[in-house]
Amino acid sequence: MAVEDVKLPDLGEDAGDMARVAFWYVDPGDDIESGDELLQMLTDKATFDVPSPVAGTIVELVADEDQEVLVGEVLCRIDTGD
Amino acid sequence: MSKASESATARRSPFPPWLRKRVPTGGEARRVRALLAELRLETVCSGAHCPNLPECFARGTATFMVLGDTCTRSCRFCAVPDDPPGPPRDAEPEAVAEAAARLGLRHVVVTSVTRDDLPDGGARHFARTIRAVRARLPKAAVEVLVPDFEGREADVATVCDAGPDLFNHNVETVPRLYPAVRPQADYRRSLDVLACARRLADGRDRPRFTKSGLMVGLGETGDEVRAVLADLREAGCGIVTIGQYLAPSKAHVPVARFVEPGEFADWESEARAMGFAAVAAGPFVRSSYRADRVYGECTGGATA
Repeated sequence: MAVEDVKLPDLGEDAGDMARVAFWYVDPGDDIESGDELLQMLTDKATFDVPSPVAGTIVELVADEDQEVLVGEVLCRIDTGD
Repeated sequence: MSKASESATARRSPFPPWLRKRVPTGGEARRVRALLAELRLETVCSGAHCPNLPECFARGTATFMVLGDTCTRSCRFCAVPDDPPGPPRDAEPEAVAEAAARLGLRHVVVTSVTRDDLPDGGARHFARTIRAVRARLPKAAVEVLVPDFEGREADVATVCDAGPDLFNHNVETVPRLYPAVRPQADYRRSLDVLACARRLADGRDRPRFTKSGLMVGLGETGDEVRAVLADLREAGCGIVTIGQYLAPSKAHVPVARFVEPGEFADWESEARAMGFAAVAAGPFVRSSYRADRVYGECTGGATA
């Protein structure tokens, strides 16, 4: 079992590079493809959907709804099965 | 997305569903950021919290912002801070040219903060930057997005003499909303700046077009927007961009209305019918969003 951390990618926001979790589209146990939307996040100017960089099974949602997350922090963990 | 998540999204997000972006994974963003940091360059993308930044940086594009990252005005729509600015950096024009070359840009956009503290408003710094970029990238299109130089024609001429392909100056909003949105600016003065640049192009091959942009969703009426478009045409403006105003913070002017994508499409048709050579209208459109493609529309794709 190879578990990968999915981190908040670079959003480019100057104000601390932080976004708030709005809503998770997936639950632990869900099988997903690379590119599937994982969650929606909010910054001051838009909602962003964050796609999965890998295919696999969701192991753990690390960031909670309404939580503020910095760029580089872990959002969730995915078992890529390799 | 399932129905359940659609309604949950509607409850949680302050933005309408069409104001949603996908964060691109991969692409050039990391390289762009590293390059900007190395050359100590600012972008309006970052300074103004543009929601298109991840997309544009991933494409390897950015709009350089020169003359510092703080502004001598306090426009109520803008995220750029209004702290006292420092002296212009001598090496900056070359640094912009270096960055543009290393990014392999074919269309280079340079903007600035407003520098009312400088006698020429930064016009010579713009001119040096245009020339530095031209020297490094002779085939690139150069677009400048300038402040109003407090209406001084000599400073507009300084910029135009350096030969930018596109001279962009934003009117930003309709005249009635200037006191609330852009209190230190003047609508007529901005139109005069555009008309001046257009006049200076007579008998020369540059600037090829003048360009202006406005934000909607600030409380303007359709007729007011129509009147601005007509004024821009009368000033000889060839390109217009129209995008949704988004408030950078609670201290800025609040969003009056989220304009629907269909309405932007209507503005685009109307503007084209008024004779603009190119129009970009959409919720996330900004003055230099995909500037290369917008310019390509005017030139029939015949850009370098």
